[in-house]
Amino acid sequence: MTVQPNLTAQDFKSDIKPIWCPGCGDYAVLAAVTKALAETGRKREDIAFISGIGCSSRIPAYTNVYGFHGVHGRALAIAAGVKLARPDLTVVAAGGDGDGFSIGGNHFMHACRRNVDMTYIIMDNEVYGMTKGQASPTTASDWCNSKLTPHGTGISPVEPVRLALAAGANFIARGFAGNPNEVARLIVEGINHPGFSFIQVLSPCVTYRPEQREWKQAVHASDATPAQLIAEAMHQLAADDGFTTGVLFAGNRQPFMPERKITATFADFERKFES
Amino acid sequence: MSELALFLAHAIALEEEAAERYAELADAMEVHNNKDVADLFRKLSHYSSLHLADVKKTAEGIELPKLKPWEYEWAATGGPESTAAEDTHYLMTPYHCIHLALKNERQGHDYYANAGKASPDAEVRKLALQFAEEEAEHVATLEKWAANVKEPAADWAEDMDPPAEVE
Amino acid sequence: MAAYSVSVALTGSGGAGAMTAGQILLDAASKAGFFGLMTRSMGPQIRGGEAAALVRISTKPISSLDDHYDVLVAFDWGNINRFAAELPLAASSLVLTDPEQGEVPEAISVFGARVGELPMKAISGTIPGGRANMVGLGAVAGLIGLPIDAVIAVLTAQLGRKGPEVLAASTAALKAGADAAAALPAVAKLPPHTHDGGIRWNISGNEAAGLGALKGGIKFVAAYPITPGTEVLEWLAPALEKTGGALIQAEDELASINMIIGGSFAGLPSLTATSGPGLALMTESLGLAVASETPLVVVDVMRGGPSTGIPTKSEQSDLNIACFGLHGDAPHLVIAPNSIADCLFSTQYAVYLAEALQCPAIVLSDQAMGQSRNIIAKPPEYPYVAKRVVAEANVENYKRYAMTNTGVSPMAVPGTPGCNYVADGLEHNERGIPSSQASDHQSQLDKRAGKLDAFDYEDHWADVEGEGEVAIITWGSVTGPVREALERAHAAGVKAKMISLRVIMPVQPAKMAEALKGVKKVLVVEQTHSQQFYKFLRGHYDLPADLQVVSRPGPLPIRPAEIVSRLAAWK
Repeated sequence: MTVQPNLTAQDFKSDIKPIWCPGCGDYAVLAAVTKALAETGRKREDIAFISGIGCSSRIPAYTNVYGFHGVHGRALAIAAGVKLARPDLTVVAAGGDGDGFSIGGNHFMHACRRNVDMTYIIMDNEVYGMTKGQASPTTASDWCNSKLTPHGTGISPVEPVRLALAAGANFIARGFAGNPNEVARLIVEGINHPGFSFIQVLSPCVTYRPEQREWKQAVHASDATPAQLIAEAMHQLAADDGFTTGVLFAGNRQPFMPERKITATFADFERKFES
Repeated sequence: MSELALFLAHAIALEEEAAERYAELADAMEVHNNKDVADLFRKLSHYSSLHLADVKKTAEGIELPKLKPWEYEWAATGGPESTAAEDTHYLMTPYHCIHLALKNERQGHDYYANAGKASPDAEVRKLALQFAEEEAEHVATLEKWAANVKEPAADWAEDMDPPAEVE
Repeated sequence: MAAYSVSVALTGSGGAGAMTAGQILLDAASKAGFFGLMTRSMGPQIRGGEAAALVRISTKPISSLDDHYDVLVAFDWGNINRFAAELPLAASSLVLTDPEQGEVPEAISVFGARVGELPMKAISGTIPGGRANMVGLGAVAGLIGLPIDAVIAVLTAQLGRKGPEVLAASTAALKAGADAAAALPAVAKLPPHTHDGGIRWNISGNEAAGLGALKGGIKFVAAYPITPGTEVLEWLAPALEKTGGALIQAEDELASINMIIGGSFAGLPSLTATSGPGLALMTESLGLAVASETPLVVVDVMRGGPSTGIPTKSEQSDLNIACFGLHGDAPHLVIAPNSIADCLFSTQYAVYLAEALQCPAIVLSDQAMGQSRNIIAKPPEYPYVAKRVVAEANVENYKRYAMTNTGVSPMAVPGTPGCNYVADGLEHNERGIPSSQASDHQSQLDKRAGKLDAFDYEDHWADVEGEGEVAIITWGSVTGPVREALERAHAAGVKAKMISLRVIMPVQPAKMAEALKGVKKVLVVEQTHSQQFYKFLRGHYDLPADLQVVSRPGPLPIRPAEIVSRLAAWK
């Protein structure tokens, strides 16, 4: 019971109705995001919510803050630009597993190591929904339900939290859409934690991965104190079954932010050309 | 903070979240052109907001704690009467909708009934039992609705059209 | 050949100091009051490769190479064949060679120039700490009549901090070379000239573009290195850091373009610089900037393409991708500087236009301008500074993409209360809400095209010079030789006009029609293989039927004499 929030979750919802399939986990993530943003106590106009392309990337339009719905895979680059240009803003990026780990995979690695103070929420449903259910980078290698890969992808899925840790993310958590209040807590912790915070939210796709309704039985809250040392987190995550929820790593690297100062005038630089 | 204030904060959150969730589901069903179910969810949202107004009236003059979403007894999930997102479907019928609502109201009843027994505060116990009774009435009403709605055929979720490509 | 200038090529393998000698020569010429231009030609090696410094010194401002070099100084002949074609010599030219380095290679002797022998290495060996390149430089100064005092003044400024012994050795080597020049065959000399007292700048096109960006109001840059665009970014890094801005190195060009989209969305005028391959990677997101109406500037310093192509040599072959590389109907600005000095103005103007019109601007520079150094009179101050139409706080029913008379809608900057909106690359309605309705698509397309078309680019749309029934239409760095060719034609009594386009996109048919009044023949001059500019002009402008084109790819620059002879042959 700390900061008295002036705004409620409802204040952070827009009047646009989501196009997500009823039953989609992303509705719960939206609820969690709006609750979390209300809890931060920040004004709506001081928050920027950035996304790429995909079902989950539609989320900024459903909130009532400044947003950017960009192109596929580039949410983190836009988000980094916003934060680096305007350190005063609270920046949250969001998107799906395909957007974040496939087409945007390089940006994910560099966002983790760049450690700009922002929060990235991946709604992971292990499938491309907007293009009719193809395997994504987090899909199990033997999932055969896509016409594109009728025998399964045959390749190992990405392990998002391990990837984030190896790449240098400063805060790593996992939530489950079925537990929206826990997700809200993780988002608030992520926003409050300095540097790049990564939150993987298991968010079932009821249309292409109906079996994910069973995730409810699989998830379990972490019983460990969040690791603060990389070695400790590596050890814990090595044994992780992919369904442990909670804060998995809370590091203490300094966030990246170039210092702004005015020590010269344009004329000083012009004089250097004099010959 | 008094037990009563804490209990009322929970009751308000429970009803508020239920009403909001029903409204969101009504919107979602509208977007997916399932008008009957949208209307039902809208109605359920309306009833929840009426109940919310009652609870708020009871709480008038009492300073309530401002709890964070995860500080409620239902720390991780939504409140007892909040429909879980994964329990819905774009082709769901009024039958499913009413049974979902029944599940919610029963959970609400159980929550209040438990508080009516377990709270150390007599005033809370009294109020909780009163709320539990109201929930029981809702359950009874919904059961009556349910009696008038036929269970759909087993293939209710079948869609002759494939999913659309969007982006 | 121009009587007011002398051209010198200095070549040698890495370590020989050809580039350093060229740089000192250019600075010394400036010190003595001359104008100048130095381009360079390099092998692919990081270190130790063959290099040529190509210096032209003139009594008046120049932005073109001359037809040939008056003097070629070869410190050695390593791999000279690689760029011998870039070193045209006349019969009157002098090849200054060190006999120790062997015979003059056939690729050079074929020009039929005179040969003068100067044992540069041996002479430098007699001076403790002396270097052959300083002997060669001294000889050049002596040959062309550049006051040796000016060279010594530059050396003193540059080597002063290395101590008096180093300076003394270099000065001695320089003087030894100058003394030896008297015994060498005479070459064209610089006309007598005195400094007019005006402030001179020694600047490259890439530095000028960086300065233009800074003066235009750029505050945020995301950078990914690529030849030959990197120097724009390298110049901007310390400049922004010290003037309240920031430059970030991105992981790739996909990131750099999207970072500046983010920076601009957040309210800061933003820019990146790249070259062809990087521009290709950016095109999807340039479309996003068009659709979301996010102002930004991309400086493309063109090099030979396609693919990795010829990274160190100039070409104008990114014209097509810059104008037409975006998918969908994506109107945007393409602004082309036509000289090193104009890299400053055009980039500054592009920043102003992008911000005023809320759209991306591509500045099409090239390697010939970007990596060449020019001695120019200090440029004037230009009044073009970024000024974005922004939304006030709490606008009732704020519509980010509202229809307006100009097509430009007030843009709410994050932090502005009551105007929260989501910028979107999906087609949208006036509020920014995604829409696939025909009417929204039509009206937003109209808006985005209309705002560019309705804007008055004044007389910056092109440099229109001269009068006549013949007009040369050109653009970019090729403008330099065209200008000089028309000057020579004019001196020979031939009247002709030049139209050098600066605002490539959007096209300006009314202004072009006005400029072409009375013109009966048009010669198009450009540096591409597929005549990109010629086809661009034919697609967008009404031109006289009597139309010819001079077009060839890099790396050989187009020289004034070629254009003069084309004009003379066209009866």
